[in-house]
Amino acid sequence: MKLYDSFRSALQSLVVNKLRSALTMLGVIIGVAAVIAMVSVGNGASASVQATILNLGSNLVTVQPQFGNDQGLKGAGTQAQNLTLDDMRSIQNQLGASIAATEAEQGTGRWQVTAAGQNWNTQVTGVTEDYPTVRDWKLDSGEFFTTSDLNLNAQVAILGTTTAQNLFGDGDAVGQTIQLRQVFGGDRGGGRARILNFRVVSDTMDATTSDVNNILLQRHNISDPASADFTVTNQNDTLAALSSVTGTFTLLLGAIGGISLLVGGIGIMNIMLVSVNERTREIGIRKAVGARRGDILTQFLIEAVALTGLGGVLGILLGWAITEVVHRIPQAANLPLLITSGTVIIAVGVSVVIGIVFGLYPAMRAARLHPIEALRYE
Amino acid sequence: MNESVVQLRGIAKTYHIGRDITVNALRGVDLDVRAGEFLAIMGPSGSGKSTLMNVLGCLDVADAGTYVLAGENVGKLSDDQLAAIRNKHVGFVFQTFNLLSRLNAIENVELPLIYGGDRHARRQRALAALEQVGLGDRIHHRPSELSGGQQQRVAIARALLNDPSMILADEPTGNLDSRSSAEILAIFQRLNETGKTVVMVTHEPDVAAHCKRIVRMRDGIVARDELVPHPRRAEDEIAAGIGAAE
Repeated sequence: MKLYDSFRSALQSLVVNKLRSALTMLGVIIGVAAVIAMVSVGNGASASVQATILNLGSNLVTVQPQFGNDQGLKGAGTQAQNLTLDDMRSIQNQLGASIAATEAEQGTGRWQVTAAGQNWNTQVTGVTEDYPTVRDWKLDSGEFFTTSDLNLNAQVAILGTTTAQNLFGDGDAVGQTIQLRQVFGGDRGGGRARILNFRVVSDTMDATTSDVNNILLQRHNISDPASADFTVTNQNDTLAALSSVTGTFTLLLGAIGGISLLVGGIGIMNIMLVSVNERTREIGIRKAVGARRGDILTQFLIEAVALTGLGGVLGILLGWAITEVVHRIPQAANLPLLITSGTVIIAVGVSVVIGIVFGLYPAMRAARLHPIEALRYE
Repeated sequence: MNESVVQLRGIAKTYHIGRDITVNALRGVDLDVRAGEFLAIMGPSGSGKSTLMNVLGCLDVADAGTYVLAGENVGKLSDDQLAAIRNKHVGFVFQTFNLLSRLNAIENVELPLIYGGDRHARRQRALAALEQVGLGDRIHHRPSELSGGQQQRVAIARALLNDPSMILADEPTGNLDSRSSAEILAIFQRLNETGKTVVMVTHEPDVAAHCKRIVRMRDGIVARDELVPHPRRAEDEIAAGIGAAE
């Protein structure tokens, strides 16, 4: 039997039962549309997260102390000063031209800031001179402190807009004196060192990551990298971690759509079994005039695949329409909804495969019918 | 004598109904059908004539004995091989016409050529076959738009399409009125005159009287096998305005 004839008779029988074909197809249409819409939402969320991370700067290498065991003392790392300013200077000297800027930061908790009879509670962070470069900061007024300020332990500070507003109102804060008083006890340099972080800006991020790692291992006299008392991470690591999260998220959404596709497939199988039953006599006639098992199998399989294939195409259109509608919702306007060619190919491929998988059993039942019994069937 | 189209030797067939009941439908049938014969197979129900018809048409395979159809031993063929034999050598005409309701007349007639034979000549050959049975003007009618006699003529055209070795008709006039029955029998007689081999299963003596030879089955064997000295002419009966089976 020629494929053309199989197609023709398959399409004929679908056209004869228009309503039934349409309803059966609806299951697949909804399934495919769900997959398309869900995955495109997932992809959109993923893309939006990635864009946010890349906005933070794609060339940042971060060095943090490794909190962990310090000679058997659990959590001792939180009190140890693993990273020093000398470490940072050493990185600066050794890597030199290959890095754009380096900066060390030390969080010191919340302080009460007092000036001109006003006070304000804020976060205070100790930083080094390249902070504005690394963080891509611009000063509104005044100037940032210099390396010599740092070396001289000059008592200088940069105020954030909110703090300046609260202390000095609309007046100029540049050149004014402030007083810092730490809240909640704490220890004002009383033995416990604060944790120092480095940030290195480099366009050769991955190379710099390993260079920094080597320099610090050497300076800290650590031979086994696994027991290092610091970690060096870069934006790529963060991106990879978040990508895997959003990937799982997309997969989850896709699976929800996949379940509806599965239900649609079961609907196909159901209707194909009914169809084979109804057309037992037709199968008998076809066998009597010389149809082989394969001919009958092909005919019913093509019917099932035509249902799911067409359903798949319509489902893609519906899925696309859904994402367009979601785009019109203000809350989701920023979410880039991506229908990739990959999604479309997978959706159509899966629906065709579903047609084959769920159409195979009914088609095999049809093909196996005995001609005499089929002809006798009322 | 002409060559044998059908050669049955010691054909036996047993059916099992449930676990305990066995029915010996055929118990050693010997039968020869030569090219150009017009043969009726008669017998009461339970005589094995339906089983014989199924075996002859390669719809079923005998348990024992040999069956040579048009020179091919079809005794131990697979389902698909039997399908190919049916397609090539057997043209079926059924009591209930067995046309596909959603296909029109010419598409129904074309059906055997879909499963074997020359694809390109399909339409012309189907048209020629329909003209042969006098339905050249109804090729686009669906079965539901045709009378019983016309439907049976479409079925005959379908049976003719692959130029089979034998036309196998199972009670072809069973569902028809006398007039249409006579017309169908006239077609069979005309085809037989052009050399076609026709085997017809019937329980009506009046219908069998149009054949050249009558084989009577009883209890799974051939009980009588006789030639009809003067077969009735369906054309004459139509001309005389009398139904064949009255």
